[in-house]
Order: sequence, then structure tokens, then C-alpha cells
Amino acid sequence: MSRSGVGLAGDCVTTFEQLKLGKKTKYIIYKLSDDKKTIIVEKTSEDVDYDNFLADLPEADCRYAVYDFEYQLEAGEGKRSKICFYSWSPDDAPVRSKMVYSSSKDALRRALAGIHSEIQGTDPSEVCYETVLERVSKGAGNR
Amino acid sequence: MSAGPSTLPPSQAPSTLEYGGDEISALVLDPGQCWTRAGFAGEDTPKSVIPSHYGYIEGAGPDGGRKLYFGDNDVHAVRAGMEIANPMSDGIVADWDTAPSLWRYALTSRLAQDLSEHPLLVTEPIWNPTKNREKTIEVAFEDFDVPAFYLARNAVCAGFAFGKSTALILDVGAANIAVTPVHDGYVLKKGCQRQPIGGDFLSNQIRTHLANMGISITPHYQVLSKIPVDVGKPAEATLKTWPEGQAPTESFRRFEEERVLTEFKECCAQAWPGPGPLPAIMPEGGVPNVAATRSFEFPDGYNMLFGLERFRMTEGIFTPRSMLASANIPHPYPEHTLGLKDMVFAAMKDVDVDIKQIILNSVVVTGAGSLLYQFNERALHELGIAFPGPRVKMLASQIPVERRYATWLGGSILASLGSFHQLWISKKEYEEHGANIVEKRCK
Repeated sequence: MSRSGVGLAGDCVTTFEQLKLGKKTKYIIYKLSDDKKTIIVEKTSEDVDYDNFLADLPEADCRYAVYDFEYQLEAGEGKRSKICFYSWSPDDAPVRSKMVYSSSKDALRRALAGIHSEIQGTDPSEVCYETVLERVSKGAGNR
Repeated sequence: MSAGPSTLPPSQAPSTLEYGGDEISALVLDPGQCWTRAGFAGEDTPKSVIPSHYGYIEGAGPDGGRKLYFGDNDVHAVRAGMEIANPMSDGIVADWDTAPSLWRYALTSRLAQDLSEHPLLVTEPIWNPTKNREKTIEVAFEDFDVPAFYLARNAVCAGFAFGKSTALILDVGAANIAVTPVHDGYVLKKGCQRQPIGGDFLSNQIRTHLANMGISITPHYQVLSKIPVDVGKPAEATLKTWPEGQAPTESFRRFEEERVLTEFKECCAQAWPGPGPLPAIMPEGGVPNVAATRSFEFPDGYNMLFGLERFRMTEGIFTPRSMLASANIPHPYPEHTLGLKDMVFAAMKDVDVDIKQIILNSVVVTGAGSLLYQFNERALHELGIAFPGPRVKMLASQIPVERRYATWLGGSILASLGSFHQLWISKKEYEEHGANIVEKRCK
């Protein structure tokens, strides 16, 4: 249970499991339902272009997202992939929306097992590829 | 820190359409050291903001007891024998005889007629002891007879209002500056820091400085008329006189002096923008601009130019060792007081390394005291020095109203959520489990 009492729709976790185990889905965007009582899946995508993912985060509203982040290690040590959880809360979003999203994050975050890192984003620079890459790889990865 | 805002036009619960809220009848109360804020959940500003100070006259009450005066108009009215007191101390309730009456006034004078129809959400500081929390729920259910109740941590509410569930909350209040790390909507209790260097401290620093300069403060109510005088010349004002035994009390005078100091804080006092602490001796040409000098006119017409002193008065917040000390005016021990930077340092000491970066990435600044000119610039400098590694990012609303009421606003939105319904403590549950339920349900 989150601080705001918001709950999860049934497919939130199953969609995540598909991303985690199926290795097909690239990212999931979650949002609050219109009555602001449950978190629902807004979109899943297999698009590997990171910029398209960013384009799916609205400019003036909040979202949660899970992204299967892949990067290359130096010296040919191969590829790594880490699952990241995003809470997107731009400064231009309505206060009410920021409030509900931040107080409800817990409900979703705790239901998802196997998240490597969490990204709190308020402007594009905090969720851009380079920033996330550094967070995820601790400075060791390449594109 | 500023004079009270005028409350909005006659109150009505907001309509669902207007605010898009689900539940509109809940009330939100945010009791602070200096101001008590109340309003309907779902609105963006509290409609009823009253001073936490109240006036009383011994023996003037209905059965020979105290007659109490609440609210801006009554507290500032000149009355013979009216003493001014404050039920809050250190940001929490100390006088449980008066606080419920003050709250009832805040809630009923402009908002609701019948408290038994409205659920009530109250905010509290982190250091509120269990005894006080239980007392709060008792007052709510037994005195006010509310149908449902919830107690929310103020730092968490302020963070939520900025869209952050993981953040460092820097709350500059009247009694304290409090630094609170919050993770996923829960307070990290170990890291909570507070120091008595808030708005009241600043007032006393200004008092000390004025006393050192030999300037006495004459509050507005004492001045009958005044004539303009040149800078630094003695005031030529006619003061009011009262017949024997009719004069306002000493505590009233002090309270009114505080208003002059508030004005001073707003127009004159300024934080040294940094980098680094305020130098003891200004280097040649250290204060390049003329803007560094400002004039201030006191209520009796005396006016004076203030230069570097404007920074000296506030420096104690950042480097307590340089606070102004005086024998007659209370101040914390400089050696035992942590400055802003050290407080943040102490708060972050026990924070897990993984979330440290996320927390420092969202430092939320709130509280009216933070409206001190250039406070944010200085704070950012200090934090940048303390934590050079990861980027420190500060979030502070540019709108003064939002800065002052961020906590209330957080509570307001929380209480207006349809999904929040299930979290309220109902009257029935209270009757079944007793006051201790607050410890289990409001963490």
C-alpha cells in the first residue's frame, strides 16, 4: 500500500515479468487511471531507440516507466542489460499530479522485483542516455 | 516571516469541477510555530491563516477565567492588560489547554461550521513525541468530534508537493531549521536534524544588532504622528500615552516589535551570497555595488542606512560562530550549534550510499524563512562545497505563497485523493483501539 492508498491494476506486474523474462519488450510506460485510484499500463513497446522512449514521457505530466537498458562494456567484455525504473515528474506538471505520482510510487516500485536502478527525473537532462548510462554502469559502459 | 496574507473571500468548499478533486469535504490543518494554516482539502492555498500567537486577559472570561483572543484582527488590537502567548514551542504544541481552542478557531471561524461533518488531516514535525501525537488524535475525535482523522509528517508532504518521494527537505521555519531525508515517502529518522536558527533566531540577531547601535524599536501602535527626519537624526514623533493601568502589556509590545523586525527582514536583511562565508574584514572594494546599502525607516520616523550589517545579521545561520551575541537577548550557543551546511552533512551521514545521490539530486527548500533574500544561492554554494561529487540540485518554488504553504498544500492534495479514503482512521477504529492507533497507522 502506498502513502496515498493508490493500488495496482492486475496487468502491471505481469507486463513487467514479460519484459524481464521475455527479453522482447523494451519498455513499459505506466500511468494513473483517470479516477486516480489505480496504476495502469499505458503502453509497452519493443522499439529500441532510446529517443522514442523519451518522447513517450509527456512534457507536462508525470509517468512511471520501466526500461530495459542495454550497454556495451569496454574492451569487448560484452553486453550488459539492466532494468531501470523511472519516475518522471517534470517541473511543469500540475502540483496535484506530482503529488499523486510521488505518493503512489511505492505501490508500483515494491511490486516489481529485479529493478537495478531507480531514476528520478524532473527535466530531460536527468533521463538522457548519458546520465542513465553513467548511473547504471557506474561509469564503465559505452553505448 | 511576513505579515499575514489576507485570507481569500468567504469560504465555501471548492466544487469538484473547479479543482478536479474526488473528496472535497476534508479539512487540512498545518499548525506551525508562527502561523496556523487551515483550509479545505483539494484547494491550492489555505483559506484560513492565523497567527499561532493568541491574546488573553486574566479574569475577563465568562466565569472569571481567561478571555482568549485569536486571529489577526484581535491579536493585534490594542487592549489594556492583554498578554500575548504562544501555545507552540520548538514547532510542537506545548500548551494543550489553548492549542485546541486555537485550532478550532482556525477551522471554524472561516471554514466549516460543524466539525463533525469533515474528516481532518493534521500535519506534524518529525520530532513530535508519541504523547503529543496521541493527544492530537484525542482532541480531534473527542473535542472536535470529527468522523475521520489522519496525521501526516510535514516533510513528507512538502516533498510530495514537489513530486518527490525521495528528497532532502530543508524547512526554514520560525523556531527551527529542519533538515529531513525522505526515502520513498518515509522519513529516515536517523538523519533528521534541527537547529534553533530559524526566523525567531534571525529576529533576535537583528534585535542584538539594533541594540548595539543604540536603536530602540518603537512599534506602530505607539506612534501617534511622525515628521520626516534626515538619516540618522533622532526621531521626532509624538507617541501615544495611556492612562495609568491602561497601557498595553510588555508581551504585547514585544509581539508588535516582532512585526517591525519582520518588515526589516523582508526589506533589509540578506544572506551573504558566497562563495565562502562572510569575510570578517571586507577586502578593498569588496562590496562593489552601492546596492549593498539600504535604508530602513522605523515606525517612529527614524531612518538609517544599513550596509554590511545586513549580511552579518544572517550569517549565524550558515556559520554559527559568527552569530551576534548579547547578554540580554537569547541566542543558542555558537559552539554547539550546527550551521546549515553541517546540518545537511550530519543528515546525510547515515544515508545509504546508493540513495545518497538521488537524495542530493532533489533538495527541496520550503518554509517562509527561506524567502530571505539570496538564501537559496548561499545554501546551494554551501552544499556544493560539502558535497562536491554528485550534483546537488535544489528545488524551490519561485512563488512565495507556494514556499510558505508547501506543507499545507501537500496535505491538501493527499486528503483530497479518492484513494486516500482507506487510510483515514475512522471514529469507530479510534473507539475500538484507543489513541495509540495513531502510532500504527500514521507512520
